[in-house]
Amino acid sequence: MTQPLLAVDRLSKSYGAIRAVHDVSFAVAPGEIVGVIGPNGSGKTTLFNCILGQTVPSAGAVRFRGTPLTGAAPLAVSRRGIGRTFQSLQVFGSLTVRDNLIAAAQEFQGSMAARLLAPSDAGLGARADAMIERFRLGRVARHPAGSLSYGQQKLVDIAMAFMPDPALVLLDEPAAGINPSLVEELRALLEGLNRERGATFVVIEHNMDFVMRLAQRVLVLAEGRLLAEGAPETVRAHPEVMEAYLGA
Amino acid sequence: MADLVQLLVSGCATGAVYALAAMGFVLLWQTSGTINFAQGEFVMLPAFAMLAGLALGLPLPLAFLASLVVAALVLGAAFKRVVVDPLVRAGVLPLVVATLGLSLAAKHAVRVGFSAEAQPFPQIFPEGVWNVLGVRVSAADVGTLLVAGALLAALHLFITRTLFGRSMQACAQNPDAARVLGIDVAGMILATFVINALLAACAALLVTPVWFARFDMGEAIGLKAFFAAIIGGFNQMRGALLGGILLGVLENLAAAYLSAQYKDGVALALFVLVILFRPEGLLGRAEERKV
Repeated sequence: MTQPLLAVDRLSKSYGAIRAVHDVSFAVAPGEIVGVIGPNGSGKTTLFNCILGQTVPSAGAVRFRGTPLTGAAPLAVSRRGIGRTFQSLQVFGSLTVRDNLIAAAQEFQGSMAARLLAPSDAGLGARADAMIERFRLGRVARHPAGSLSYGQQKLVDIAMAFMPDPALVLLDEPAAGINPSLVEELRALLEGLNRERGATFVVIEHNMDFVMRLAQRVLVLAEGRLLAEGAPETVRAHPEVMEAYLGA
Repeated sequence: MADLVQLLVSGCATGAVYALAAMGFVLLWQTSGTINFAQGEFVMLPAFAMLAGLALGLPLPLAFLASLVVAALVLGAAFKRVVVDPLVRAGVLPLVVATLGLSLAAKHAVRVGFSAEAQPFPQIFPEGVWNVLGVRVSAADVGTLLVAGALLAALHLFITRTLFGRSMQACAQNPDAARVLGIDVAGMILATFVINALLAACAALLVTPVWFARFDMGEAIGLKAFFAAIIGGFNQMRGALLGGILLGVLENLAAAYLSAQYKDGVALALFVLVILFRPEGLLGRAEERKV
């Protein structure tokens, strides 16, 4: 069996008596798109934060490419090849779209001293331009990111996560707050990245149609526990999921 | 007409020095939420550091280089570590009080060490007057304007055209996101404090030959730089530049066409007008902050 890219083993996170994540285990294979769904407060974002070093788990382990990642600082995690987006936008409003993309990868370009007088694109210009083309941001590439619509900023935010060429990207509600046509465009973009570059995703999402069409496998969290796991159609038909989440 | 041009050139030269000091207010505010009311003394102290170097027999260029090093270490790194870091989490007000105290302490320490008398300072530009197309301009004004303008242009290019500068901008706009992207936010903030100290030392070199080195020389330049930053926009570097030039020119015009006594009044009046009718500054952006 192929070694999983990401392996989460019995991960738990408690805040006092509240168990935000409880005994969750799963693995993500290279090139896979995994969806994570669950009601509000089910522990999805806490799970991301534990994987990415933004929260220290109370128990359990995370391994990336077979080596331990548990407790690593966010910077170390990103340098190991894991990118992420947040529920809220994290673009730099006064920088242009192109500069935002370069900023997302420039810290991987040598030491601070080497970057002191380095030219502003530092060899990342071509990669940024390719990303701009892929995300169809060409018309606004030289505009300040803060002047774009929310949906366009969301695309910039996601494109930024790909700039350092990560092996795995964790997307936290990428389709939230954007119009249906852009949601469809976003799905096609992510599928394209997966198909052409073998990009691996874990995607938290409330938009059921989006996640069920995008993901190859879906994890369902409820009250911090892994309630179900499987192909989208299997999860859709799972009685506990229907009861706990879909309300059927 | 020739007089007017002469006044404009002279005003721009003075304004460019205000802009150098005002830039420090903007940089520190943007990257760390710090307002440094000792900014004027950050100009005065390198002036006296250069005088000390001259007294030790160093030529002016070496004394200036030594003052840059001392400014970077003391007014940049040590100021951040000893004064700002312990207080910045408590909000702006404790820092304002601390920097006001620092301003007083620096002033009176220099008065005790060097006396209250103005100390002569070597000229860095020729003392002559040039006649350019019938307009008489002093070489000192032109030199000051060129050097200050070059420094401001270099700073602008550094901030907007280098990776390091982009990192500084990213930290100023969204430190949390910058941290996630691997940008060394603490290092960038430290770099900002050092740049502020270096700019202040450069302003000292330009202004002290004209104003002479006095323990209280920082009062005027600190106040004018603060006015310039507010007038132009506290969150915009180009605002600090505009504010500085505007103040320098208006002061000169007021002194020439009204009375020298109205010079400071004009700066204050402009400051009050901007606060009343455009509090974000002429080029500034309105900001929302949680309190």
